[in-house]
Amino acid sequence: MSTQLHTWTWLAWLSAALIAISVTRNLFYLTLILLCLLVVYSFIEGANQRGAYPFSLLRFGILVSVLSMLFNMLISHFGETVFLTLPEKWPLIGGPYTLEALVYGLTNGLVLFGILIAFTDFNQAMPVRMLIRLIPRAFFPVAVVISIAVTFVPTTIRQFYQIKEAQMLRGQRMTSLIDWLPLVMPLLVGGLERALQLSEAMTARGFASTAPNSGNTAHRLVMVGSMLWVMAGWVVSTRAGWETLGLGLILAGALAFLAALWWAGRLVPRTNYLKEEWRTGDVVVLTGILVLGLALFFPFEWIDRESLYYSVYPLLQWPDFDPWLATALLVLGLPAYVIGLRG
Amino acid sequence: MKNRWLSLLIYLVCSLVGIVSLLYPFFLPQGTTGAQPGSQRSADMPLMLTVLLGLALLVLVYEVQGQAMNTKLIALLGVLVAINAALRFLEVAIPGPGGFSPVFFLIVLTGYVYGARFGFLMGVLTLVVSAILTGGVGPWLPSQMFTAGWVGMSAAILRPLLLGLHKKGRREEIWILAGFGAFWGMMYGVIMNLWTWPFIAGPADQYWEYGVGIWETMQRYASYYLLTSFVWDIVRAGGNFLLILGFGMPALRTLRRFKRRFTFMYKPTPAPVAQSNLSG
Amino acid sequence: MISFHDVSFTYPGASHPALQSINLEIPAGSFVLVMGPSGSGKSTLLRCMNGLVPHFSGGTLNGTIRVADMDPVDASPQVMSRKVGFVFQDPEAQFVLDRVEDEVAFALENLALPPAEIRTRLDATLDLLGLTALRERRLDTLSGGERQRVALAAVMALNPSLLVLDEPTSQLDPEAAEAVLQTLVRLNRELGLTILLAEHRLERVLPFVDQIIYLDGEPGRMLVGDARQVLAEVDLVSPVVALGKYFGWQPLPLTVQEALPFARLVQLPESSDVLISDIQATLPEPVLRIVDLHVFYGLKPILKGVSLYAQGGEVLALMGPNGAGKTTLLRSLIGLMKTEVGEIFLLGESIAGKKTADLARLVGYLPQDPNALLFADRVLDELLYTLHSHAHKPLSHRQNGSVDPETSIVEKAAVMLAQMGMANLAEAYPRDLSVGQRQRVALAAIMVAQPRLLLLDEPTRGLDAASKQRLADLLQTWRDDGHAIILVTHDVELVARLADRVAILEDGVISAQGKPAEVLAASPVFVPQVLQLFPDAGCLTPQQLINRLRSA
Repeated sequence: MSTQLHTWTWLAWLSAALIAISVTRNLFYLTLILLCLLVVYSFIEGANQRGAYPFSLLRFGILVSVLSMLFNMLISHFGETVFLTLPEKWPLIGGPYTLEALVYGLTNGLVLFGILIAFTDFNQAMPVRMLIRLIPRAFFPVAVVISIAVTFVPTTIRQFYQIKEAQMLRGQRMTSLIDWLPLVMPLLVGGLERALQLSEAMTARGFASTAPNSGNTAHRLVMVGSMLWVMAGWVVSTRAGWETLGLGLILAGALAFLAALWWAGRLVPRTNYLKEEWRTGDVVVLTGILVLGLALFFPFEWIDRESLYYSVYPLLQWPDFDPWLATALLVLGLPAYVIGLRG
Repeated sequence: MKNRWLSLLIYLVCSLVGIVSLLYPFFLPQGTTGAQPGSQRSADMPLMLTVLLGLALLVLVYEVQGQAMNTKLIALLGVLVAINAALRFLEVAIPGPGGFSPVFFLIVLTGYVYGARFGFLMGVLTLVVSAILTGGVGPWLPSQMFTAGWVGMSAAILRPLLLGLHKKGRREEIWILAGFGAFWGMMYGVIMNLWTWPFIAGPADQYWEYGVGIWETMQRYASYYLLTSFVWDIVRAGGNFLLILGFGMPALRTLRRFKRRFTFMYKPTPAPVAQSNLSG
Repeated sequence: MISFHDVSFTYPGASHPALQSINLEIPAGSFVLVMGPSGSGKSTLLRCMNGLVPHFSGGTLNGTIRVADMDPVDASPQVMSRKVGFVFQDPEAQFVLDRVEDEVAFALENLALPPAEIRTRLDATLDLLGLTALRERRLDTLSGGERQRVALAAVMALNPSLLVLDEPTSQLDPEAAEAVLQTLVRLNRELGLTILLAEHRLERVLPFVDQIIYLDGEPGRMLVGDARQVLAEVDLVSPVVALGKYFGWQPLPLTVQEALPFARLVQLPESSDVLISDIQATLPEPVLRIVDLHVFYGLKPILKGVSLYAQGGEVLALMGPNGAGKTTLLRSLIGLMKTEVGEIFLLGESIAGKKTADLARLVGYLPQDPNALLFADRVLDELLYTLHSHAHKPLSHRQNGSVDPETSIVEKAAVMLAQMGMANLAEAYPRDLSVGQRQRVALAAIMVAQPRLLLLDEPTRGLDAASKQRLADLLQTWRDDGHAIILVTHDVELVARLADRVAILEDGVISAQGKPAEVLAASPVFVPQVLQLFPDAGCLTPQQLINRLRSA
């Protein structure tokens, strides 16, 4: 299962998808985004030979949207287009049912669904080892733990079945909860013994235990500081009128945090032997993302950016539609094109 | 010594930030914004705070990682997380009322036996690994990780409290741990549901909005909660209770048996200084 | 390369030392074999080479050790890893990552070498060990033998000058073991790598060995020397060597090839018509009867018409190459596989549709890894659990000792333990015991229910010669008691000693079945060494041959 696109490209695509989803509440745009993401999903699964139709994903998405729709309709009574009214004195669900609430719930469900698909696409496109390699070097010990865990899950599952069979042959029957004890205990003990053997093997291969928090005091302080900075930025941004300043603080804090992570990573003496290649597909997708970013945030005059900020309340109406923005959003489907090209 | 104070400070700060991020619907000051209900601003809040929570989580993990990791513990954590992640597959496969989760059993017990830091990482990493393996990476992951980490971390607080009971070998130890597991079974659901609350049902007004007082918000949340995940959480709490009660004692014995071998650190004896005979 | 001066070591909390006054000199480029019964200190000695003892294990170490011009105690395993590569026994518990090339590159990445250099070294190491074709594979898709080669590659990537291996082939089947050992020989010959190997399966390795270190079990008693020297003084040896010692052949032959010229000169007396193994001529209803069994894995046929029977009071050995379907056959016998065609009769009744837990009363199954069975706090509790399960008693919360179970059940368990010579271990924690002891506890836990048929799946993996002997004695006792025993194994010498009948399963069918002397003699693969030396003697073990000579 090759990655088709460079790891960083996938990351950029994921970020673009998430930003696009969170920026808009316009139903047209949202549907467009969702379609692109689903298409990408089917192409990824097709490449992985796992079947190309996102049926189960679709079902989940529909479920989420419907639930959200119903829920909002039942609980929220805001809006002007009433189609049903229950007596007010009923707790929570009493009161007017409005179309706006329905549509709003639907929108929210779609947003959640979109986020889910975006992450799923990313997860399916990247083999687990590449995902692990994305973990910043500052978190190397944790990354090793995760690697070990991922490596040992199949072994554990296999062991579980072996134990189950062996115990069945002692006449064990699964009648009550306690009967699981002879299954769980050998698994646990076996795991602990194996952990000892593994740590011995790791030690013998030169894996060094890191000294507890040595020499990284400054790094920790900067990390905490930048996190507090982000928090401050958030608090500021909740005050009316101070939004842009808050946003700026948040961004600055986030960048500082990333820098601190990178800095802490320098403390770990390690190199990465894997060299990923940049291919035309990467260039294509990245350029597209750049275009999308410009379309969404750069104040071009011929683009109706207001259409992004569509709101259902107070009165339901058709959302605006800007063809330029729509085309820009199609960029999110580019990975499918790239994968499809590879045959 | 200074290092330990710094660590403690960092734990506190991160936990506070995390708690604020998780519980923000209750904390927002009244009438702070002129934003229209249903507008962009209020829709961004949950995502924003997920980011903040994620940051707090990262700092916390970095801090704990720095203090807790030698080769043996890395291997031990890896294998235990593998077992827990494998168990989580069961959770997804079991039909019927969801909510039952076998993973908290090990998180609570390892936190109890091996300490707060180990328990914290156990919780956080179980969720990460099972998310990676089942493709369940999503924006709810930071909250899940944070809360699960807290389950493991807080289990260690029980240790000095129950030490007397353990020494006398009394069964009360397990009952208390089981109750602890049940408590967190419920709380986990309460907290996770809180995360989805403004998000799934949307920040429509009359329902959840900025600037409503704490008491009012709590009432609203309580009703939302009862309608949604209450049953799930009861099942989870009950499951934790039974699991710990049923398997806790043998598991504790096993974990304790291995404890010495894993926490052993080699201290080289200083080499004897060579005496040189200078005098003739 | 290696020198030990008066080295003694005691594990923490141990009452007596594991190693005592060890003195050794091993020159660079040697291939050294470390032999000895389990628990004699082999593993400890090996771990002294790279500092795992005492850094990883704790304890007190006295004396001086120098390995590759370094002091392992002073340096640490981390530093020593660049000079000493260590391969362990379990192919499942050595890997951090799950892809071949990632795993091999792991150690190099930890050294922060430049990526280009890592890639070069990676390619070279994979090529050296013949793993280039496997480099992108996931580790859990590899066989045990391939995994051990990956473990080798992972340590070889660091270019060590000494390679230490602690029973690397004991979990592998003979072919895989052969491949690993041949690789080691090649590394020694082509690269001049010093190799220190602890193994129980000696036969394959002996011709290439420069020195043998034999640890007796009594701390302090150690034999070092040339292969022939040491083997001349050791008791439990391979049949070739045993015969060599008996006949006084000089120089002591180590392999069949070396022994053939001597064997041809031996005059054997005329064979009296003594059947090697007497099977009772009367055949009551066999305990197990398999009729034309076909088993499919999906659409693929695994067993293509197997017919077999097993009698009470006999040991049937089931042999065959890997993948022939031996494990599938065993699993069918215990109701774990669906049989499409054919029937299996247990004590005359068909087992179709029966649940495994019901069959457990008639059939006992010792899995390849007996650890899968052991979960209780005491050995006694393991036996009690089986008895409780068979009596349908619910496993009560407090069954581990505090509530008084029925006395007869406890008595049964105690009798079983006494019969197996383990009465003194009744209160021990099963997982703290040695490999051989654990296997016997598992066997006790199975046999305490007195099943008529006992199935053993590769029981001799990882056992030293003394434990194998004890196992053989046990099986013979049970056979004489009237149980039917089916033994799946690759171990030809064990079969020669123990089996009453042999069946060979090849490619899903029984290709040969009958008395050991006939079947083993006819098989090109499974010939015991005695038969290779004396094809016409009709004897399978050295003892039988010696008895024949003496009786003439």
